[in-house]
Amino acid sequence: MAIMPLVYSNELMLFNFVMFLTLAQGLNIIYGFTGYLPFGYVGFFGAGAYGFALAVMHLHFPPFAALAMGGAAALVVAVVLIPMLRLSGAYFAIANLAAAQAIYQVISNPALEDITKGPYGVSLSEVFAPGLSYAVALAIMAATFALVVWLRNSRFGLALQAIREDPVSAAMAGVSVVRGRTIAWLLSALIAGLVGGVFAWHISVFYPETAFDIGVSIFATVFTLFGGPATLSGPLLGVAILYGVYNAIGITVPQYFQLIYGLLIVALVMFLPNGLVSLLTRRGIRVP
Amino acid sequence: MLFGAIAAGLVFGLYFTLVGLGLNLIFGVMRIVNLAHGDFLMLGGFAAYFLFYLLGLHPLVAAVAVLVVFFLVGLPIYYIIVPRLLLARDSEMLSVILFFGLSQVIEALTAIVFGTTERSIPGRVLGTGPVIILGQRLPSAWVFGAAVSSVAVAMVYLYLYRTRLGMLTRAVMVSRDEALATGIDVHRVSAIAFGIGIALAGIAGVFAPFMLGSVTPSIGVQINVAAFAVIVVGTLGNPLGTVLGGVIYGVSLMLMQTYLSSWAELLPNLLLIGVLLIRPEGLLGRKTRRA
Amino acid sequence: MLSRILLLLPLVWFALAGGAHAQAVPSEIKIGSLYASSGPFASISMPVYYTLKMWVDQTNAAGGVFVKPYNKKIPIKLISYDDQSSTATAATLYNQLITQDKVDLLVADSGSVLTSVAVPIAKEHKMFLFDVSGTGGTFFTADNPYIALMADPVSTIWPKYIADFLDSTGVAEGIKTVAILYATNDFTTTQANAVRGFIQAAGKLKIVYDQGVPTTTSNYTVLINNIANANPDAVLHLGYAGNDIAFFRNLQDSGQKFRFVFGIYPGEEQDELTKTVGVGGLTNIFSYVPPSSYHYTPNFGPTLEQFHAMWDKAHLPGVEFGANAIYGYMTGLVIERALATTESLDQMAIHNAVFGLSGKLTTMDGSFALNEMGAQVGEITPLGQLQADGKGGLKLVVVYPPELVNGKPIIGK
Repeated sequence: MAIMPLVYSNELMLFNFVMFLTLAQGLNIIYGFTGYLPFGYVGFFGAGAYGFALAVMHLHFPPFAALAMGGAAALVVAVVLIPMLRLSGAYFAIANLAAAQAIYQVISNPALEDITKGPYGVSLSEVFAPGLSYAVALAIMAATFALVVWLRNSRFGLALQAIREDPVSAAMAGVSVVRGRTIAWLLSALIAGLVGGVFAWHISVFYPETAFDIGVSIFATVFTLFGGPATLSGPLLGVAILYGVYNAIGITVPQYFQLIYGLLIVALVMFLPNGLVSLLTRRGIRVP
Repeated sequence: MLFGAIAAGLVFGLYFTLVGLGLNLIFGVMRIVNLAHGDFLMLGGFAAYFLFYLLGLHPLVAAVAVLVVFFLVGLPIYYIIVPRLLLARDSEMLSVILFFGLSQVIEALTAIVFGTTERSIPGRVLGTGPVIILGQRLPSAWVFGAAVSSVAVAMVYLYLYRTRLGMLTRAVMVSRDEALATGIDVHRVSAIAFGIGIALAGIAGVFAPFMLGSVTPSIGVQINVAAFAVIVVGTLGNPLGTVLGGVIYGVSLMLMQTYLSSWAELLPNLLLIGVLLIRPEGLLGRKTRRA
Repeated sequence: MLSRILLLLPLVWFALAGGAHAQAVPSEIKIGSLYASSGPFASISMPVYYTLKMWVDQTNAAGGVFVKPYNKKIPIKLISYDDQSSTATAATLYNQLITQDKVDLLVADSGSVLTSVAVPIAKEHKMFLFDVSGTGGTFFTADNPYIALMADPVSTIWPKYIADFLDSTGVAEGIKTVAILYATNDFTTTQANAVRGFIQAAGKLKIVYDQGVPTTTSNYTVLINNIANANPDAVLHLGYAGNDIAFFRNLQDSGQKFRFVFGIYPGEEQDELTKTVGVGGLTNIFSYVPPSSYHYTPNFGPTLEQFHAMWDKAHLPGVEFGANAIYGYMTGLVIERALATTESLDQMAIHNAVFGLSGKLTTMDGSFALNEMGAQVGEITPLGQLQADGKGGLKLVVVYPPELVNGKPIIGK
């Protein structure tokens, strides 16, 4: 991935690949490991993007400090939304979606124009640095992968999966259910926030609709599910295949694009609900 | 201005009751999040449009046609998708994704076949002249929509509480496994409920060109959030609750439009989150449902 | 010896000159563009795509476009991708066009939102951006020469004629108070700010209602009631087509009457609005007069009637004839003139060629005039009114500016 910009010069597409790889893993942490599906995952992403933007516009922070602010902004949102973890299943998903929409509506409101530039969008041309921001995105991706590997192989990760399968039994076995979930939630949000921040840095001009595009949540979810949650290679496979197909289709057969993608999702859930890697795990082969 | 907003909210809210009714039934019976609900509604709107312009059918007639057709279409959709879905470990979550995929397919097909321009039906078809309630001038189409919605709610209530099939449906809503254990044909009951739910979405869609101005293939998504807000506030599984939810939604939306207009869209989201966190069983809920 | 060299010289000279020419002439001119086949921007994007393509096909049928530096006609290849109204996808695709397809000319998708992501990308790659209808004021800055707005006037001056009309004819007819209702997105909020600014600067009218509502608003009944409570003589509604449809339907249903009511789309998309709102709901409404409803006399390219005939023959699926149909074709015309006058295919030479057309080119879209930052300050849409044509339909009559007027305005009592 690091040398690809030298090989394939549409580096914005590469950047998007890196971004989705990281987001899918971030979603994996909360969904694959704890079973909560944050349908409004893009809320953290957008919070991170605007955290970065506000730090640059109003506090004149240099990019790395602003990136930290982006991550912090997402964490703040996550903390505020912790009470949602009491909800289960579909309720949580919908509530989370509503929360992401609410954040979007607050940020894009013209009443807040002086702070967030409201509906006019943000322009951060003074920190525009495509090469550097790409490198930082790669670093964030690597760190996230390391985190998932650790989770996959550690006691904490095992505890999380226990919580996912049966919270009552897990609690009886001494696993701190609430603490485990909360930590996974915060980690997941932090990752999305950092990715949002580096996205803002890389693209430097965006409207609120772009930063809070529900498509981001959808893609991250579908990629993770397609590959197989709770594994490292699942989301990786998902992004590589599906996002690759997305770009290929988008460029060659555009008008049937949404249709093909929708059918793919339906087929996926119907026939491979545990993802592509389940083809291997069913046979007892362990994947990383 | 205040009473006018409340009056408008009541009438508009009753329409949203209809929007949420079908979703309520499906979620209550199958614990499936039908994210394609808004898109079935959109299809109902397009059906009404074409039936009006090609065959000259009055929307009420179209509504009856839509009721029958969508119900019949809902049955096979249920049987193809749902039993398989329920076998998976995490069916609630997967249903979110599956029906999202379905909604994309519906939206894409509609856009490909019919194009993306806004479609509308002239308002005077449902009566001319404003109806004045509490000083507020309301389109007669709104009053019509509210009336149809009230009839639909009454019929669903009668179905659930006065028919045998309805009683079985309520049993399945409380606990699917126990219902199965007592010998109820859960799939048959659910399929019928699913069909009714889709039919209700379609009927709500027939009136959408009047209540919302116009329909395009992409209105499904925004409808969904409002529909969820309505059913969650009003308690799942209880059709009278959906009335309450719709009215609350409508009135608060109109009040927001009057006093804090640019924040009006924030409301359904906050309402949804607020109710889920504070009183997840909804305003009419009795048992503490594990929300 | 010397004589042999002298004999050879002309041969060498011819070889070099001919060779240099031969290796530099490209076999085709690649034009890259994006369109949205689905999502909220599809209805303004698809007409542009189809008519740009129409221009490409017609030009190729005539042997190609004349490119001055090579002194010959070269065929055009149009490379277009679908961004589905998503800005993130659009950004990737603009990059694809520039870095992978290596297009010679870059055309943006429609509307400010989808154009916005192209602006920094074009600037970074030093690629001139043919901005079709992205009118956001922030796109045009002194430090970026790689952009010019083709077909719409920039949002900050677009509503000028509304304010001028109200301040002159309106005041003369006794109009004293104005209500402004707008949707909170970049395009319509900028227009609202502009018209508010013009009105306040002139100081002759009082603004009694001034509210923004979300762009997703689809019911205006309560809003109309609230406006009526403030008793304005004039009401300005600035929203997208979906907002206008709901607003005018609700206005008709409510039975409220105002002396002057303005909406952007009754004029801009007259066919579509008439179908959805109905003749009764749009009678005597004021709106912009788009190029699709006004017969400018072009000095290049077809007239409106000729173009409409071309459109009808093409039988394009699922799109309405309106302003956007003209924008696509007209962008092609600007490209044609630019290639015919440019010194080379270098992007700054293209810039000079395009800016050189300012003040000299009049198409069916009006007079093309750019300010030094690339914003379109010509092609300002006149103010018009939809009046009953006596045959059960509506005709759009220009009421301002005075030099283009072709009818009398009807201001209610």
